[in-house]
Amino acid sequence: MIKGFRYGLNKFWSEALSGDLLILSLSIILAVTSISSVSFLGDRLQTSMKLQASSILGADLVLRSASVIDPKYLELGIANNLETAETITFLSMVITDDDNLLTSIKTTSESYPLRGELIVTDFNGSPIQNNGSPPTGHVWIEPKIVETLNIKNSSEISIGNKVLKVDGIIQDFPDRNSSFVGFYPIAIANINDISDMGVIQTGSRVVYRSMFSGSTRNLNNFINDIGEIPADIRLQQAEDVGDELGEALGESVTFFNLASLFTIIISVISAMMAVRRYATRNLLQASLMKVFGASKLFILGHQIMQLLLIILFATLLGLLCGYALQSLIISTLQGILTTDLPAPSFKPLVLGFVTSIFVVFATASPYLKILSQTEPIRILRNDFSINLSNNLTIYLVALVTMFIFLGILFQDIKLLSYILMALIFVTAALYAIGKILIILLGSINFSSGIGWKIGLKNIVNRGNESILQIIIFGLSLLFLIVLAETRTDLIDSWSETLEEDTPNYFLFNIQEYDIANVTSYFLETANFSPSYTPLIRGRLLSAKRAGSDELSSENLMEREANLTWQESLPKSNKISKGEWWNQESTTAEVSIDAEVAESMNLEIGDELFFSAGGSKFSAIVTSFREIEWESFSPNFFFILSPSAGQSLPNSYITSIKISEQSNIMNSFTQRFPTITSVDLGAVIQQIRNTVSSASLAVQYIFLLTLIAGILALVASVFSNRDQRTKETAIMHAIGANRLIIFQSAAAEFFILGILSGLTAIIFAVILSSIIFSQFLDLLYSPNILILGLSFAIGVIFIFISGILSIRKTIYTSPVITLRES
Amino acid sequence: MVFLFNDKLSEAFTVMKTESKIAENTPRHPLKDLILEVKNITKEVNSPEGLLTIVKDINLSVERGKPISLVGPSGSGKTTLLAIMAGLDLPTRGSVNLLGSNITSMNEDQRAQIRAQDVGFVFQSFHLMPRLSALDNVMLPLEIAGDPDAIEKSQIALDQVGLSARSKNFATQLSGGEKQRVAIARAIVNKPKILFADEPTGNLDQKSSNAVTDLLFSINELINTTLVLVTHDLLLAEKCEDLYELSDGSLL
Ligand SMILES: Nc1ncnc2c1ncn2[C@@H]1O[C@H](COP(=O)(O)OP(=O)(O)OP(=O)(O)O)[C@@H](O)[C@H]1O
Ligand SMILES: [Mg+2]
Repeated sequence: MIKGFRYGLNKFWSEALSGDLLILSLSIILAVTSISSVSFLGDRLQTSMKLQASSILGADLVLRSASVIDPKYLELGIANNLETAETITFLSMVITDDDNLLTSIKTTSESYPLRGELIVTDFNGSPIQNNGSPPTGHVWIEPKIVETLNIKNSSEISIGNKVLKVDGIIQDFPDRNSSFVGFYPIAIANINDISDMGVIQTGSRVVYRSMFSGSTRNLNNFINDIGEIPADIRLQQAEDVGDELGEALGESVTFFNLASLFTIIISVISAMMAVRRYATRNLLQASLMKVFGASKLFILGHQIMQLLLIILFATLLGLLCGYALQSLIISTLQGILTTDLPAPSFKPLVLGFVTSIFVVFATASPYLKILSQTEPIRILRNDFSINLSNNLTIYLVALVTMFIFLGILFQDIKLLSYILMALIFVTAALYAIGKILIILLGSINFSSGIGWKIGLKNIVNRGNESILQIIIFGLSLLFLIVLAETRTDLIDSWSETLEEDTPNYFLFNIQEYDIANVTSYFLETANFSPSYTPLIRGRLLSAKRAGSDELSSENLMEREANLTWQESLPKSNKISKGEWWNQESTTAEVSIDAEVAESMNLEIGDELFFSAGGSKFSAIVTSFREIEWESFSPNFFFILSPSAGQSLPNSYITSIKISEQSNIMNSFTQRFPTITSVDLGAVIQQIRNTVSSASLAVQYIFLLTLIAGILALVASVFSNRDQRTKETAIMHAIGANRLIIFQSAAAEFFILGILSGLTAIIFAVILSSIIFSQFLDLLYSPNILILGLSFAIGVIFIFISGILSIRKTIYTSPVITLRES
Repeated sequence: MVFLFNDKLSEAFTVMKTESKIAENTPRHPLKDLILEVKNITKEVNSPEGLLTIVKDINLSVERGKPISLVGPSGSGKTTLLAIMAGLDLPTRGSVNLLGSNITSMNEDQRAQIRAQDVGFVFQSFHLMPRLSALDNVMLPLEIAGDPDAIEKSQIALDQVGLSARSKNFATQLSGGEKQRVAIARAIVNKPKILFADEPTGNLDQKSSNAVTDLLFSINELINTTLVLVTHDLLLAEKCEDLYELSDGSLL
């Protein structure tokens, strides 16, 4: 064995440069590149996504309540080595000498925020602070307040009974969405000033938040320790926070996994073809070595050493490529990943080696056995064939090993079982089609020696070899088509989330008497008339289960409720349960967001009690809705039926699209000072960036799979090139001209390509629809363009590479060909 | 032409038969140095038509230094017999004593060991490794045996077949005759005591064939080996001291 190792080591380079080992090495490189880049990437993306979600919360974990939270939770957090912070937020008037403004006052403890950044500048715009809270007696405010109340540096404002000095302007803070739904401007004060302000009385609208962050382990211990929490406290974790950004990234991670799974499978297919050809060629060498006295172990040692060296070099190359690719993708995503990414771990390195060892030994070990056990007598008989029944077990072994390995690697049994089923069905279908083709062609009597007839005859003569080729072509095309479709639809669905006319301004606080003026303003300046949605500020008081008399306010944590009333279902909403009201209905009804309903444990038929505009009323829950928040139009958790809402006092809101260059919003705020406008441009831009970067990243990964697919096709075309070469040379020698030889090869590859392409398309449609519905939550409709294009390109590719594979023999003298073979 | 060939053949057989009669009648000299002794070899194989006997009850022996040749029509079992004598294949019945060891009772790796040390082979279709240079091809048996002086010895062997100038060429860049000479260098590089050749000139034209023939016999003396030659070429066969004819699996 040692001698064999040494021999393998010595002869490695001369063997490595031969074609078969090259294809094997390339398949390994591709598999490793794919798995390592996706793993490098997945690791880093996931960590960064989590950090990002945490920064939306301002912490890893938050307890929030409408009433004071027991300080024991903070103590428990500290006991578990967590960092802690507190905020108390309430609505109050900010009063200056000659004006006032309803503001969301956020009082914070010094350690706020635990995640994300609070950015405060002075009045000249230079940063002064990026975390914590102002000292007592001081306050930071948002630019909006500065403008509206015309505040200067060091001006004094009062909140409740306390006078505070303004010495900072809030540019950004993490947990923007954590408090009141609605868009009140923000002021941040020290939490210790809250009692002096004296604004919090029973019944005030207050949100108390205790914030925690630390290692996952400590957080889990903490969650264990706090046990059951009172119903009025809600526990929020970073993982729960979903936004468009997270969704697009999440879907792209799914895609990356899918792509790397496909790349590995396709690489295994091409490795299988390469190893088979390699083994067939090496059978002569192994038998010859046997003749010259080599033992089984010597041959085994030789082969294993060569494979190990290939694994070593190809894996290192693959890891390099993988690292380069993920750096490229990360730099593409840089714009949308605000947090610094953690350095890549060793995991991809290990994964890369494990993958290549697997690819090589799953495909090569059966051949190792054949090679080491070859009988020296083969040399005298000139018999170097490996029969296909041996190959069958080889492929079965490879398949089983592959799935065990992929199961461990991807830990997604569901996805794998679908893929396995697809593999089995498609292989069976392709086998059947190949068999039928051979029987059909076999029954035809090709009398004359025209080129294409020879080609068809060759398909029959090659028998199982032709079937194998149909299977390999078909499988490679199948996975490529499925991935191409997934890629296109994913990117389309992302870009659809933000259509061109997505509104970029929200206008709040429009009163009945403003409407005519606002409409005419926009008609004059931008030639459109906005549509207005009523907004009723209210509170949800309690709920009553149908048939029960008990009022309950448990689970109704978000007591602050913005309500609206509508005659018909808004465009971006979909009924998921129950029914929308009939316009003439006189009962008071309410329709709720399905997620809110779930979190509040509400059911259709429950009666909800609200207060709004000083009066109390109730409404029956008659439907749940799914809301498309990405639509950026006014959306409401609670929609009342006209009979319930019509008579309540309300203002209006609207969302409008203003071209970015236009400055009509400036004059708008001057003309309508009481109407609040919120610019969503930055948010929309960020989502646009996310989508285009994620799309680009998806393209890179797809490209990798595409290369692997092309390699598999090439490996398959070349797998019986030796035999073809010999045949062409013989045909040449017995007088066939180039045209005939060309025609015969063309006919053969054309038929094989068409059949495998058609089968691949049929199964691609099935597999794609499964993947779309089960793993991506997308609607699938076959993309005729992609299917057609893939089919055409696939067939043409097989055809051209087939011709190229025998090109040399067409143009060289048969004597040379025969001598070399 | 065919007639002439047959004529010559039968003439040769007459000569041979006389000789072999002499050999049979004379009691074997106890000091005779037998390098190969084949006793009652029979080879049967399974075929679609049932059990097929391809070699039947063969007895023969080879003395050190005395080349023998094996002739017979195609399909008569020459290659089969050669393979059994060289330990590449096992007989169904009978025993082979090669270089003092009963190779029929050995296992595959033990037989391989003997081949590695003392046996050389030349084949009709050369069987050079196309991706290796001439030198690397010649080195193969030494590398298998783990000989540290593989390169020097191989260069000497290439020199002996007159191809030292082509040692860097790849097998595909050589003519048929040159390939066979490289193959001969490979066969003799481990100084084998016995050299088996199965139709070494079968794939060569007349000129190369002559060159290879001359080489084989001069080598036989040069490195003091014993040639066991299977051939169609009667001229070649006649150069050997003993000539056996196979027909339908039996010796005539
Ligand atoms: N494994 C086998 N199974 C079936 N038949 C076999 C097998 N090996 C050899 N034969 C048959 O045995 C016979 C002898 O074969 P062998 O190769 O020894 O003949 P040969 O004398 O070397 O012929 P040639 O001069 O053509 O090389 C042939 O008919 C061959 O077909
Ligand atoms: Mg023969």
